[in-house]
Amino acid sequence: MRKYRSHWSQGDREGYQRRSNYYEGPHTSHSSPADRTREEVVTPTLPGHAATRSQMATSLDFKTYVDQACRAAEEFVNIYYETMDKRRRALTRLYLDKATLIWNGNAVSGLDALNNFFDTLPSSEFQVNMLDCQPVHEQATQSQTTVLVVTSGTVKFDGNKQHFFNQNFLLTAQSTPNNTVWKIASDCFRFQDWSSS
Amino acid sequence: MISKAFPSSFCETVASGQSNNKMCSTLKKCGTYRTEECHDHGSTFQGRKKGGSSFRDNFDKRNCHYEHGGYERPPSHCQENDGSVEMRDVHKDQQLRHTPYSIRCQRRTNWHSEDEIRITTWRNRKPPERKMSQNTQDGYTRNWFKVTIPYGIKYDKAWLMNSIQSHCSDPFTPVDFHYVQNRACFFVQDASAASALKDVSYKICDDENQKICIFVNHSTAPYSVKNKLKPGQMEMLKLTMNKRYNVSQQALDLQNLRFDPDLMGRDIDIILNRRNCMAATLKIIERNFPELLSLNLCNNKLYQLDGLSDITEKAPKVKILNLSKNKLESAWELGKVKGLKLEELWLEGNPLCSTFSDQSAYVSAIRDCFPKLLRLDGRELPAPVIVDIDSSETMKPCKENFTGSETLKHLVLQFLQQYYSIYDSGDRQGLLGAYHDEACFSLAVPFDPKDSVPNSLCKYFKDSRNMKTLKNPYLKGELLRRTKRDIVDSLSALPKTQHDLSSILVDVWCQTERMLCFSVNGVFKEVEGQSQGSVLAFTRTFIATPGSSSSLCIVNDELFVRDASPQETQSAFSIPVSTLSSSSEPSLSQEQQEMVQAFSAQSGMKLEWSQKCLQDNEWNYTRAGQAFTMLQTEGKIPAEAFKQIS
Repeated sequence: MRKYRSHWSQGDREGYQRRSNYYEGPHTSHSSPADRTREEVVTPTLPGHAATRSQMATSLDFKTYVDQACRAAEEFVNIYYETMDKRRRALTRLYLDKATLIWNGNAVSGLDALNNFFDTLPSSEFQVNMLDCQPVHEQATQSQTTVLVVTSGTVKFDGNKQHFFNQNFLLTAQSTPNNTVWKIASDCFRFQDWSSS
Repeated sequence: MISKAFPSSFCETVASGQSNNKMCSTLKKCGTYRTEECHDHGSTFQGRKKGGSSFRDNFDKRNCHYEHGGYERPPSHCQENDGSVEMRDVHKDQQLRHTPYSIRCQRRTNWHSEDEIRITTWRNRKPPERKMSQNTQDGYTRNWFKVTIPYGIKYDKAWLMNSIQSHCSDPFTPVDFHYVQNRACFFVQDASAASALKDVSYKICDDENQKICIFVNHSTAPYSVKNKLKPGQMEMLKLTMNKRYNVSQQALDLQNLRFDPDLMGRDIDIILNRRNCMAATLKIIERNFPELLSLNLCNNKLYQLDGLSDITEKAPKVKILNLSKNKLESAWELGKVKGLKLEELWLEGNPLCSTFSDQSAYVSAIRDCFPKLLRLDGRELPAPVIVDIDSSETMKPCKENFTGSETLKHLVLQFLQQYYSIYDSGDRQGLLGAYHDEACFSLAVPFDPKDSVPNSLCKYFKDSRNMKTLKNPYLKGELLRRTKRDIVDSLSALPKTQHDLSSILVDVWCQTERMLCFSVNGVFKEVEGQSQGSVLAFTRTFIATPGSSSSLCIVNDELFVRDASPQETQSAFSIPVSTLSSSSEPSLSQEQQEMVQAFSAQSGMKLEWSQKCLQDNEWNYTRAGQAFTMLQTEGKIPAEAFKQIS
């Protein structure tokens, strides 16, 4: 039995911690809410990118990687729609500077245009019914951690008729030594009944 | 002095019975229900002084005859310990009121004694000579409670009643809603509703974040209930109203109703100021003239519209209202009927008209109540300025495919054609070439197995990775398919489909040198199994990298499947694809026709079904036979496929 700290090697310890993190709820492994603003989605550094690894991750690492990415996605989605509904002016903080949005076929790119767009968009009431996410393969992203998030649900603009919508995001992680900030690189939104509205 | 000794609450209960005309001398206005206002000082804690003085008046004019007492108290309530001070006071006061001289000495002994003793004393006393029989009936069998909301006048009636209803655990029907100075009052009938209403006090917050308090007191039956018109009277009133109703214009003329010869001849006094008469009239309107468009209440000496406020529920379609030549003092009265969407209103001849400095002030005040009003006092009003923010303009209109450049569009569409032709072919193993070695795939459906109707989506449910409903972290990991072998295997396990490529919508939403992200929205049909023919809608997101020879290599694939809306189902597959109909089939070769005949004879299926089976199996007779036998043993062939045995 390994009783003392010295009996554990560095790798073992990390692995052990990771395993215990695996079963925790989504919020416990993140930094405390106090030291980050609501408009940022921040997660601890992902294990897959801590070191200078370029080869394929082991299956355990991949699972943990996926899991953490998924948690980031879930939290991001909650914050995104809440900000869209209640703090619309802060929404563009969740986008990268050069992010693009395709909104029902209309292209909006760059933070200025996004700001204008969200200002003119009427007040919204979102309800998300479906959420799925996948980590994007590094071949496509030049080793920048990216997550594909797909959501679906209902939205009411200005209290009018309810529309069903589908939305996809590409979230990229910008890592700092302490934490990771997630932002939207690309966004695609469409009503399911776009042809009739 | 007596007046100091008796708390004002007494006056409420006394006065909540039929009011007395002789009280008028102290009041500005006459009117039957009006006198209640001065006595009615809401809660016990307010207006004591006022109560005292009017009590004195009551006391002096002891001839004044209160027809309905409300002094009777059913025994059960005596023991109720719901902490209402008002009730105890009331008991005390009743005793005192009736025979003040005789009990004064008793009072001294009873003042500090317990409830029970006081009540015992009361019960032993002979009740004073009054019309008791009627009262005991009312009092004992039905308990009425008066609900008062101080400053209730500030709130919109509809909002107030709705808030109270929603907070109240017991449903209740408010009766005789009216305003007394600043207070809003109404009556409710049963004790459980009354106690539920008490609980609502201080629970509702108004706009200024003030809590609304609600007082509930015992009371006699409300005026309109106590003085309900007898059936004979109602019948007569109905006949009279029928005579005054103009069917073609849906207009009811109740001018000067009191002096209608028919009613007067039968000695029926329909004074519309009285709550019971107005309630009866509205009841008849609700039952017999629900589509009423025009109501004329001219010359009925109306000084308040509390009674008329129910008209918004009983005759909501009224567009023309004539209230001219009445005694309405203030435009505020109109607020009580502002639920009506009036187009024409007559108010001339009311004192309120002279309260305005000029015509335009008058018009704008009335317009505040009835924004859609077109004619006032017979004069056309200038068109109202309706500020309607058309929000749909501010949202960008929805556009079709977003695909950027033409070459890109071509590339993507070509890719999709190839992909779906393999996907729909029945053997999806061909897709191995489309995926990267370490690609990821997952699928999600917005389907809940608890939904009552099992439909085609349920076949996708077991693979659904909807993280809103799936909380098991192990499954989350498992359902994300990785490596192309896994992906193609899981795709092959999904039901066979036929995609309608003519109606797809593609959004290419991210493009870099190394990656292309695009989403495909469209519909597909199930081609086999129980739900054959049902149309489902999908949204598939691909992330692809440039592959060999200008093709795409998928690294991420996410599929979202849902039920198609009726619109989507209808417009889908509008370009006819070969169906099971016998007409419009491409001509078959001689050999093929013979095969169809033979197959039909052997299997027992109709010609078109046999043909379909053969076609599906590429005209390989043995294979078609095997497929048929297999499907038949599985019971998947519908009965209509088979020929009737003639």
